Amino acid sequence: MVTVLLPKIGPVMPEVILSVTGLEKSYDKVIAVAGLDFDIAKGECFGLLGPNGAGKSTTLAMLEGMEDPTRGTVQYYGGPLPSDYQTRVGIQFQATALQDFLTPFDNLKLFSSFYDDPIPMDHLIDQFRLQEFLHRDSRRLSGGQRQRLLLALALVHNPEIVFLDEPTTGLDPRSRRDLWDVVSALKADGRTLILTTHYMEEAEILCDELVILSHGKALLQGPPKQLIADAGVSDLDTLFLSLTGETLVKTQEVMK
Amino acid sequence: MISIMRSVRRMRAVFFARNLEYLRDRASFGWNLVFPVLIVFALAVVFSGPPRPLFTVTAVASDSLPELLEFPGIEIISADRSKALDRLSRQQTDLVVEVVEDSVRYWVNGNSASGAILELLLKYTESRSLERGETDGEAIRYVDWVVPGILGMNMMYSALWGVGYVVVRYRQAGYLRRLRATPLTKFEFLSAQVLSRLLVTLTASTIVFVGTNLILDYKMVGSLGLLFIIALVGGLAMITLGLAIACRTESKEFADGLLNAITFPMLLLSDVWFSLDGSPYWVQMIAQVLPLTHVLEAARAVMLDDAGVTDIAIHLAILVGFCTVGMGLSIKLFKW
Repeated sequence: MVTVLLPKIGPVMPEVILSVTGLEKSYDKVIAVAGLDFDIAKGECFGLLGPNGAGKSTTLAMLEGMEDPTRGTVQYYGGPLPSDYQTRVGIQFQATALQDFLTPFDNLKLFSSFYDDPIPMDHLIDQFRLQEFLHRDSRRLSGGQRQRLLLALALVHNPEIVFLDEPTTGLDPRSRRDLWDVVSALKADGRTLILTTHYMEEAEILCDELVILSHGKALLQGPPKQLIADAGVSDLDTLFLSLTGETLVKTQEVMK
Repeated sequence: MISIMRSVRRMRAVFFARNLEYLRDRASFGWNLVFPVLIVFALAVVFSGPPRPLFTVTAVASDSLPELLEFPGIEIISADRSKALDRLSRQQTDLVVEVVEDSVRYWVNGNSASGAILELLLKYTESRSLERGETDGEAIRYVDWVVPGILGMNMMYSALWGVGYVVVRYRQAGYLRRLRATPLTKFEFLSAQVLSRLLVTLTASTIVFVGTNLILDYKMVGSLGLLFIIALVGGLAMITLGLAIACRTESKEFADGLLNAITFPMLLLSDVWFSLDGSPYWVQMIAQVLPLTHVLEAARAVMLDDAGVTDIAIHLAILVGFCTVGMGLSIKLFKW
């Protein structure tokens, strides 16, 4: 079990931190996101669930401020995204290379220097258990070690919102559970977490609220348990099957 | 003020990270030092034998050249008078001739035995009146002439690939996207890349310059400070050119092609290995739009002719122009 020692960022308030209205994104003639509307409450773990190509990563990129919507808006506390938005959010990308030959220590030092008031490095090293591979070339880290490092880099400036794009894809079961512990601890700190996943179990365990996406559209939105109960099914995978005629498990198997 | 300090802090961090990456990549680091040294030594060995038994005469644009020049074994090069006399003073040519109306003007280098023989032959074979001129100056060895070329070539490869290729690799791997999610600005990132590569390029060039000179003792008669300024401005010009190429390119293969398309003409036309004095006018004009040409012309002027800053001002100005355009384009067009 990982104990997260990040500084507390205040009490959890039931207010909307991000609000999405009529969100669309298209690339040439391909529509990646076809009109989404939802609110994300401060302090909750919000999940975007769907198979590959459902529009999860594109939606996430617009919420992160990394992509501009073709139509629609993303609002932060009811207003436009502020110019210093990047200092308020931490992002763990799905696939990120780091500079060759740099160690986790070098990377933490580099990313810490981008911010005025970063979390002390020792703190992050303890929290994400980086000590054992702190001075190893980052290219030689295992999948789980690499994800822990990337998460530490995303949190180096103590952000209010943390985006996690398929954080456990490609990890072995133990590393995946390790990361769930880290994410749960971040949630307990009152941080707002927004994650994409195609793992049903992950979504059920971690998310307070989720949107199920398919072909860029929202099929359902709500707390996982309530969605399952309302549909009268046993789990999210069965629910997804009943909505789309395909299972997420199959998608995962194809990926492997 | 605080914003400038923040900016400097972030640039410094990226600068040091890039330096670390380079220093720990021992293969690249070693190759950058070893490769030019190997070339210098190989050429020193190849060209260490006696001079070739061949006379070279430079003709200043004239119609009816002396009969002597039709003899086999004499190579004729055309050049304007000023260039021809420069070559003569370095003993890169043995005789300079210019026909003016009914008389033949010729110049020899007082220190050149070949020149003395050719002068004698000219007197015996030429029926028109002769007008003599003389220059002096020690002969330069090929290694004296080629060392600036090799240092410049090394700088070109290090600058263009070390920045252009690396930035495209960062982009393709998603690292630039990761940096974009931080407060780091384009200007800070690009400046750090430029400074880091400049440090590497200048350090490598200095080590190679000093190391090879200790052993080969090639000619260096000018100001070391001025030579350093040429390396600094020339290095910056190449680095910013590399950045401009990389500012939007997403494929390493395409970047590779673009970089080759730029380095090849410089390798062939910028006087790296051989002088293009005798080449067609249009070739020499193309060479003038290549930054390496100006680096090498300025460096050779300082190293071989003790040129001052005013003598090479035009080259420095052109290189500064390359830097300004390259950096401006990079900042304007750069995509994370």
